[in-house]
Amino acid sequence: MGRYVLKRIGFMIVTFFVVVTLTFIAMKMLPGTPFLNPKLDPTQRQALMHEYGLDQPLAIQYVKYIWELLQGNMGTSFQYGNEEVTTLLFQKFPVSMNLGFEAIIIGAILGTLLGIFAGLHRGKFLDWGSMIFSMLGISIPSFIFAGILQYFLGVAIPLFPVAGWEGASSHVLPVASLAVGVLAEVAIFMRTEMVEVLNQDYIVTAKAKGLSKNAVVFKHAVRNALIPVVTILGPLTAAIITGSLVIEDIFGIPGIGDQYVKSIVTNDYPMIMGTTELYAALFILTIFIVDLLYGVIDPRIRVSGGHN
Amino acid sequence: MMGKLLEVKNLQVQFDIFGAHVQAVRGVTFELNKGETLAIVGESGSGKSVTSKALMGLIPNPPGKIKEGQIVFEGKDLVANTEKDWMKLRGKDISMIFQDPMTALNPTMKVGKQIMEGLILHQHMSKSQARERAIDLLRRVGIPNPEKRVEEYPHQFSGGMRQRVVIAIALACNPKVLIADEPTTALDVTIQAQILDLMRDIQKDTGTAIILITHDLGVVANMAQRVAVMYGGKIVETGTLDEIFYNPKHPYTWGLLSSMPKLHAKTDKLQAIPGTPPDLSNPPKGCPFAPRCPYAMKVCVDQMPAYTHLSETQKAACWLQDERAPKVEPPKTIGVGGE
Repeated sequence: MGRYVLKRIGFMIVTFFVVVTLTFIAMKMLPGTPFLNPKLDPTQRQALMHEYGLDQPLAIQYVKYIWELLQGNMGTSFQYGNEEVTTLLFQKFPVSMNLGFEAIIIGAILGTLLGIFAGLHRGKFLDWGSMIFSMLGISIPSFIFAGILQYFLGVAIPLFPVAGWEGASSHVLPVASLAVGVLAEVAIFMRTEMVEVLNQDYIVTAKAKGLSKNAVVFKHAVRNALIPVVTILGPLTAAIITGSLVIEDIFGIPGIGDQYVKSIVTNDYPMIMGTTELYAALFILTIFIVDLLYGVIDPRIRVSGGHN
Repeated sequence: MMGKLLEVKNLQVQFDIFGAHVQAVRGVTFELNKGETLAIVGESGSGKSVTSKALMGLIPNPPGKIKEGQIVFEGKDLVANTEKDWMKLRGKDISMIFQDPMTALNPTMKVGKQIMEGLILHQHMSKSQARERAIDLLRRVGIPNPEKRVEEYPHQFSGGMRQRVVIAIALACNPKVLIADEPTTALDVTIQAQILDLMRDIQKDTGTAIILITHDLGVVANMAQRVAVMYGGKIVETGTLDEIFYNPKHPYTWGLLSSMPKLHAKTDKLQAIPGTPPDLSNPPKGCPFAPRCPYAMKVCVDQMPAYTHLSETQKAACWLQDERAPKVEPPKTIGVGGE
């Protein structure tokens, strides 16, 4: 197990630096410069470029950037009054993360429950109902839900604030808009797995022991059905990240999404790099945790990981 | 004479699938005495597995249902059982060994816990008591190092070892009836003998009655005292082991015995019964074996024969036993083992 984790951490570091490198190259291919003020004349602009080292060859800029990054220095933003990128990130990123995690946890738990429920009522009205709801949840983008929820639960029946990020009630609508997609996807997956698992021989064995239906379902079926479902949590996290950029905008949430988009438009290089790195690290870490979780649920994987 | 433990009377099981009524079991009657082994023999689709599932209340409903009949266990008719009654019975009084040990165990639960579940449920043991008993059971079914193995998962066991675990689960609460549904079919031949030996030993120790469902006559010869031969959802012949093997009366039993490969036979061809079993969604009016029977007469197709009692223990449902029928000698190809 220890060796497996070490190996995985090695791969994670490599993946991270591949992402950093590709982002760096792609970013430098963006047209325009960070210094957009029309009052600047070409010589002044040249001086600024020189000051930030932007007139040097790409390879040298890259090596310098990586060197600084390894020392934990992400540079200063070109836009926000020369503030440290790390400071800016740590101000705004927690809000985005909060939103994303609430959505994914609520979506995954409710989705699992809905999937179990549908699987147990296979072929009946409740199953069809749950699955139609889930298909809608997958096909309709989160920003449409956001609009619908804002109108019906914010304006028509003003239960929750339409925008903002203060207090628990302000979390309800944005988290719900984001969670619907996760819920729907997990529910459909979970239902398929439940139907499959409930047909397995070991379920008959469990029944033959005299266990109640609930014990058979929750002690024997659910854990086995969860194994494949856990795998989709990784990709779902990525979807949440991109989804939250739009949702933050719609609900006026002071997260990092708005700033991220702006940094790309204005060629704020250190900001682009910093935000991407944070998202990449988070994503890589999520996949790693999901894989460990996989081992916790499925003993077969735990062991093979240990022997390798 | 030993006492009756279980009596099945005129059991009929029907499955409603895609508008068809498949009559999987069509009036099966047999009894099981304390401590004996009864083999139910037949080919795939003869209704033997469905019969065994009915005894456990495990016919999936829908689509299946018990249409008629009684299953009397210790004086009580189980057909009237509610799901709650079944839960009290399953795994405690009647338990089951399944065909495929590779799929019969939950892959994500420790073997010990799978054995302990029944003990905690039926015998109200504490966790530590149940664990001790699980270790004893694993030792009893011949698993070495049970203190360690109890903490392992099914994938850490070989096929034969898993079947031993399945047997340990079935035996956990000292059931009065053990139903073994093709317990050795999925195992290597060398392991088969070990598992059969184990089942015999356990029967000697505990006095459990065994219903052995199989199509393997070699297994029957090794294990059973009495045999019921099923075909087309009916028992066509029943008798003691010797009666069925040395003095069979039903042409289907002849066919089964002839199709056993023989060690010293000079031919290089295996004997088969030509034809296929009847379609039970549209069961035949007469004898279900008539279309495949080389001795079939007109009456066989029209009317199901009643049982002819050939001895106190043997009876067969065949028109050949009627006094008006021509005398037919069983084929020479019938032979037990290598003789």
